Amino acid sequence: MVMAEGTAVLRRNRPGTKAQDFYNWPDESFEEMDSTLAVQQYIQQNIRTDCSNIDRILEPPEGQDEGVWKYEHLRQFCLELNGLAVKLQCPAIDYTRHTLDGAACLLNSNKYFPSRFVQLFIFHYLVNRTFFFGSFEKQGNYFNTGIILLNETFLCHRFTKFVMKYNLMSKDNLIVPLLDEEVQNSSARESEA
Amino acid sequence: MVNGTETELPNPLIIGKPDMTDSASVLETFKFLENAAAEFSDEDEDEEDNGRDKTVIDAATIVRRRVMPEPNEDRDTVEALKEFDFLGSDDSDGGESRSAGDGTEWEKEDQCPIPESWNVDQGVITKLKEQYKKERKGKKGVKRPNRSKLQDMLANLRDVDELPSLQPSVVSSSRPTSSRLSEQEINRTDEVEALTFPPSSGKSFIMGPDEALENELGLGELAGLTVANEADSLTYDIANNKDALRKTWNPKFTLRSHFDGIRGLAFHPTEPVLITASEDHTLKMWNLQKTAPAKKSASLDVEPIYTFRAHRGPVLCVVMSSNGEQCYSGGTDGIIQSWNTPNPNVDPYDSYDPSVLRGAFEGHTDSVWGLVYSTAHQRLLSASADGSIRVWNALEAAPALTIFNDNQELGIPSSLDLVSSDPAHMVASFTSGHTSIFNMETHQKVLTLESCLDTGVNSSCQINRVISHPTLPISITAHEDRHIKFYDNNTGKLIHSMVAHLDAVTSLAVDPNGLYLMSGSHDCSIRLWNLESKTCIQEFTAHRKKFDESIHDVAFHPSKCYIASAGADALAKVFV
Repeated sequence: MVMAEGTAVLRRNRPGTKAQDFYNWPDESFEEMDSTLAVQQYIQQNIRTDCSNIDRILEPPEGQDEGVWKYEHLRQFCLELNGLAVKLQCPAIDYTRHTLDGAACLLNSNKYFPSRFVQLFIFHYLVNRTFFFGSFEKQGNYFNTGIILLNETFLCHRFTKFVMKYNLMSKDNLIVPLLDEEVQNSSARESEA
Repeated sequence: MVNGTETELPNPLIIGKPDMTDSASVLETFKFLENAAAEFSDEDEDEEDNGRDKTVIDAATIVRRRVMPEPNEDRDTVEALKEFDFLGSDDSDGGESRSAGDGTEWEKEDQCPIPESWNVDQGVITKLKEQYKKERKGKKGVKRPNRSKLQDMLANLRDVDELPSLQPSVVSSSRPTSSRLSEQEINRTDEVEALTFPPSSGKSFIMGPDEALENELGLGELAGLTVANEADSLTYDIANNKDALRKTWNPKFTLRSHFDGIRGLAFHPTEPVLITASEDHTLKMWNLQKTAPAKKSASLDVEPIYTFRAHRGPVLCVVMSSNGEQCYSGGTDGIIQSWNTPNPNVDPYDSYDPSVLRGAFEGHTDSVWGLVYSTAHQRLLSASADGSIRVWNALEAAPALTIFNDNQELGIPSSLDLVSSDPAHMVASFTSGHTSIFNMETHQKVLTLESCLDTGVNSSCQINRVISHPTLPISITAHEDRHIKFYDNNTGKLIHSMVAHLDAVTSLAVDPNGLYLMSGSHDCSIRLWNLESKTCIQEFTAHRKKFDESIHDVAFHPSKCYIASAGADALAKVFV
């Protein structure tokens, strides 16, 4: 809930806050965010506002360091995949869990991300392992569940666009089957531009 | 350092003693006792002075000690520590890494003589010592060797029927604290005391539970005889000797693995194990003794050894059973998940073990913000944004046994705790500013504590956390309006109120012996308080802000020398 104190709004989820009010406060412009976690705040705010507006979510604020921007997006992908992993009941559960655990360690490690900069191999690691579950068992219920979940949150679309936008890997390496259309559209746009 | 104490009532323990009306005569009695105490205490003078002098330097010279940071530690933490190290520290080597957790090292340090570890002019110290001794002349404090004599006198002076009223109930604490101190630790404590201090005045942070209790009770009786500010001169010696020996905490580990803010913390009752609950939908378990050397530095990294996944949304709170075999977590999904605690030596990349997840306690229809485990009855208590407080059988995932405040009569509960002095009672705080005590057996509300109530205009009366003192019948509340307040559980009266932080106070924890209070705030700082003097004895900046939130939770390990904090910055920090 929002606490009005004169004109100041304190953006807090105080104990007792209802689930529907969690993070439910007026948007804040990126310039106004003075905390050190502004990039994460900004990305999450845009996702909460409209998770289908992928272009807006992926559009960095002016002057934003690209490395930090990509890094924070990756963290956000992993965060949301945590949610998906819960709902999946499938033979790949260990694989998914371990990938997420590994990504968590990697992305949070001072060793590999001394200044929160992204390195390319992380993308290969994530894409080829985490999103791999999309093609793991095409015949089973699990596959359908996976598709539904991914569509629910536009996560897969966002990830594909993200990867294409920042040219992080060749589309041949992207093995998420649903997204052929996305990839084509994206390539088409790129070639137009 | 903010010690903004607005003492509204002179002393906690006076409350509820109806025979204290004639303050003048009590004062007379007190003066007499004070003189008597001075006489009796002569033989201990020198030793006592040691302890005292150390403390005085602490306060008077404001020593700026250079903290040598752990090379790998966050810069902001280090800066923050530097800023506050004038608050007084006993050890000299700053943040140098130490072996984890057995409490050996710092206690040894406490035995060390002061000089080489303090960066001050010895002349100044000597001068101050003398000055202080002068000031203290004729003002001898009270120490345990004299207590029995004092008690005899008290018995003669007044009928003392009600004096020990605090004693019996406090022993029956349902918290599993006292039995958990390992023999080793107790032995070492004895060692310290034998070497340095007279038996009663030397207190290290971890001590035998009996001593702690006695100490408190000793003070309690005496404090009960005093009125108003006279209490200060009595508490002075005991409190400060303890401060002189108290532990200074230093950052040890930064736990990085969560992707979003950490809302809750729970220590294992005996093992060096911590569980964190995060908005990233997961909980993680950390073995603080299972460390990996970090690259390019002497410091150590801790990686999570297990990730708990079942919540469909942010996880808000976590609690462990008293034997550590189970843990329970609540989230915005309204579900309480119960888990079998994995073995602390589990391989983090073992295959998924479905037996860890025990099952869900379903019934709440909104976010679960508070959880408490009751050892006495093996119950689980939960507070939810749906307005209800539910009591569950912790052993099986079945519907709640009892539901309180289902009609939201008192508003939305924000936090709850067991009343340690009466295992049948629980205390709950509400977003409206109410704090009430309930009897879980009769299902009745027993008492509503005096409180400011929400005017409806803003959330300024919001209470963020309530905890019960582990040995005394006192409830402590953390308020959005920066206050910490202390209440008498018997009368419901406000004992003490203080502006404790620069911003909302979010979290509270009391050490297992009931001597220190730790508070966390959205002002990014953690503060440690001496519960007797209500003064801040250490402060450190621990976490960064995300939106307008910073620190969500703080915790003392029930039996080992660790404290931990949980931040909106997705980090948890461990101090030793």
